[in-house]
Parts: sequence; structure tokens; C-alpha cells
Amino acid sequence: MRYMLMLFEQDTDWDAVPEAERTAALDEHAAFIAYLNSRGIEHYGAALRPSTTATTLRPAGPDRDMLVTDGPYVELKENLAGFYIVEAADLDDAVEIARHCPTGTGTEIRPLWDATS
Amino acid sequence: MGRDELTDAVADAHRRGWGRVLATVVRVTRDLDAAEDAVQEAFAAALELWPDQGVPADTTAWLTTVARNRALDALRRERTLARKLPLLIVPGDDAPADVEPIEDERLRLIFTCCHPALALPARVALTLRLVCGVPTPDVARLFLVTQPTMAARLTRAKKKIQAAGIPYRVPAAHELPDRLPAALAVVSLLLTEGHTASRGDSLRRPELVRTATELAEVLAELMPDEAEVLGLLATVRLAAARSAARLDTEGGLMPLSAQDRSLWDPALIEDGCALAGRAMRRSSPGRAGPYALHAAIAAVHSEAPSYEATDWTQVVALYDLLLAVAPSPVTALARAAAWSHVAGPAAALDEVTALAADPRLHGYYGVPAVRADLLRRLGRNAEAAASFAEAAASTANDVERSYLLARAADPAL
Repeated sequence: MRYMLMLFEQDTDWDAVPEAERTAALDEHAAFIAYLNSRGIEHYGAALRPSTTATTLRPAGPDRDMLVTDGPYVELKENLAGFYIVEAADLDDAVEIARHCPTGTGTEIRPLWDATS
Repeated sequence: MGRDELTDAVADAHRRGWGRVLATVVRVTRDLDAAEDAVQEAFAAALELWPDQGVPADTTAWLTTVARNRALDALRRERTLARKLPLLIVPGDDAPADVEPIEDERLRLIFTCCHPALALPARVALTLRLVCGVPTPDVARLFLVTQPTMAARLTRAKKKIQAAGIPYRVPAAHELPDRLPAALAVVSLLLTEGHTASRGDSLRRPELVRTATELAEVLAELMPDEAEVLGLLATVRLAAARSAARLDTEGGLMPLSAQDRSLWDPALIEDGCALAGRAMRRSSPGRAGPYALHAAIAAVHSEAPSYEATDWTQVVALYDLLLAVAPSPVTALARAAAWSHVAGPAAALDEVTALAADPRLHGYYGVPAVRADLLRRLGRNAEAAASFAEAAASTANDVERSYLLARAADPAL
């Protein structure tokens, strides 16, 4: 089964973070990716720019264009900062994988809907 | 065969077999709803066929065969239909199902229903429905919600198991510290509710106690070295040992202080205290878990020759340990009640007054009940009567209410 690991943390502008801290964070993710590779787990992932850079489209009403607004869909203290999609045997395995994954304030695990099954 | 005889036979088969049959059939269907339907049909078949064929010697085996066949038929019929949910993940399913001991089969079901990725109310509801075979309307009644609400909750929980890929398996030893509390909480909730029903005209709900007992026994059989499992089973045994003394001949409540201890079952006390001792010895020093500590408290009460001669200092010390590992206002209240026998009712009354400010205890009948007892011992009978009346108004259990009302009428009773 495939799962998305959604990594939440307080908004961070990684460009503005001191280099040593940024390198340390990247190293943690490199270690996680090494773990995934050592287990032969298929994966994909990306880090997101902070939610202050987000743009949200909302339906403005029937027969009207979508409304373009500044900011994330939901304003939270912590935001989605990055994600991985991993192949895991089951939820227990996905939890085990997520334990190895660096995270800020929490990791949400969601199964992907497989339209082909 | 008479109608009653048949009903009894099916009820007995249901009680003993439901969980085992379902646990086995789930491996065939790999779909919880389909398995439930098949088991339901097998019981319907029993009602239809047993009057003529007679009750089979091994009802569980008979029901398993019928349910499995019904499930396979249904699978063949529905093979062409689009599947909405992914199948249940059954790790290590290469081994033939017949080889594995049947208890392990049920344990898989317990650990799947008690997965920490499910909320506690969902876990309890699923365990009652799938492991114990309690009909959905009865589960709804237990939770004080309507039947459609409970049906929706069960559906959501079953859907999550399959959609999120909660595996159908017994956790490995190294996973148990994470997984066990979620399962023990379910058994404990059943035991608490069975011991003193939160509402209704009976003090106890024996069917829930029986279910909790069976679950605790299965867990202890499979994990004989787990301190917390032993603690839970000890609590089950000690509650059973004392249950006969909890009601007087007219069905009225007898509090611990007034119980005729000669009615306690000495064999169960011995067994329970031995289990409680093992639970404490198996705990890391100074770090006993909540179930071992609850058992230890029950053991101190069970070994006391009388209420007055109870080792209250020891009870308070155990409550302090319990509050350190599992803080709870209800435990703090119980500690205050025990403390009153060490420091006197006046000191304990101050503590109860402070605790009553905790919003989590608002409306909990235990607060005025404990306060009433302390006031009575202080000779403040009018206030005691008012508190007993307040406690009576806050419980929905008829037996408890009658007792509290009697005390309100005569606090010195």
C-alpha cells in the first residue's frame, strides 16, 4: 500500500535559516532517505515553501470564476511543510517508517486511494 | 428439541463461538463486513437446522464450516463487482489456517479491533461487536447513543481498518508496549461498566463482566509474562471474588465497608492476590503500570480481615504511585477517600472540596457520595443527607440510587 507522510511544522523560510541549521535538517532527511533505500522502499517526496507563499482558489459561486486568494486553505499554527509518499506493507509498517522520518510538530499518515484496485 | 432449549443452545454457541468463528472467517473474506454477514448467516442456519439435526457436539466448528462456506459463496457471487475497499491485510497468511491454535486467531481480531490508530470508543465498540458478537443495538445502548449513530461509528471504524491498512495480526513482542495499553483499556472499560452499570435497574451487567473476563484470560494466556496483563486479570478475579457480597438479600447495594467478607470467594481471592503479586514483581522497580497498581490496591482490600483493619497507609501509597503514572481526577478522589482513614475525615474533606472544582468531575456522583460519607463521619448529618441526595440525583443506576436515597433519609445507616 502507498501512504503519504505529511510533515507539519511551524512555517519556516529555509532560505533565511542559518546554513548550519539548514544543513543539519537536510542531513536528517538524507538519513531518512538512506533508511528508505536500505529497506528498498519506493518513495517520493518534497519540501514545501512556507504557507505565506501559498495561493488558494475558492469557488466564488455558481457561474463565476474561482476566486484567487492569498494564503493557505486553512490557517494553522503549524502547516504542511513537506511530504513523502512511501510504499509500506500495512499501517504498522507505515508508522514504523514515519518514526524514522524527521518531523517538526507532527506527521499525519494517510493511505493513498488506489483507483486501479 | 424444545424452543427454549434451542434458544439456549444457540445463545451458548453464540457466547462461546462468535469471536472465534468470525476471527477465522475474516481470513477467508479479508473483509470485515462480509465476514460479519457470513457469521450472522451461520447462526441463522443453526436456528433453522439444529431443531431437526440436533445441536452439534462442537458448535464452534459447525458454525465455522457453515460461515466459511457462506463467505466463499458470497465471494464467488461478488467477484465481478467493483470492490470499494482494499482487502484486509493478513500478514504471514501462507501457513494453513487450520494449523494455528484457535486462540491466536481470536487474538488477531482483538489486536486489530484494539489498534491504537482507532479511537478508544471505536475500539470498544468494535471489540464488543466483532470479538464478543454483541448486537449493534446493545452496543449502542452501552454507549448511550442511538442505533444509527452506533452503526455509523462501527462502519467508519471497519472502513478505517481496511482503507488505512491496519493489519490483521498479533503484534510482535517488541511492539507490545505500544499496542497493549490500547487493548487493555477496552477490557478495563468493559469490566468497569459490567461491575457497576452506568445506568439501568441492575447493579452489574454480568454479560460484560463475562466478556471482560474472557478477553483478560485470552490475553493472559498468550502473554503470561506481561505485568499489565496479569494486573488486569488479577483485578478481574478480585472483582469476581467479592461480587456476591455487593448485594444484600433484597438486592440492595452493600458498600465495601458493610460487606460480609465471609461471602467473598477465598479461592478467587487467593488467585487474584497471587496474580497481583506477580504483576507487581514483573513490573520494573518503582515503575509499575496502572493495571498492576489497580490490582495491588484491590489485593490490599481483599486481604484485609475487615474494613477497619485495612492497611490504608498502603492503599494511599499505591494510589500515589497510580496518580504518578496515570493521573486522573477519579483516582485522586479514590485516594482522598482512602486518605480519610489515615488522616481523618476533616483533612480528606478539604481535599475533596478542592477536587470538586475540577470540571472533569462535574456531575460525577462519586464526589457528593464521598463527601457525604466524610460529613457523616464528622457528625454533620444534615449536610451528609444533602450530599447523599445530590449523589443519588447524579447516578443513573437504580440500585446505586436506591442505596444513596436510603442514606440520604438516614445518613447513619
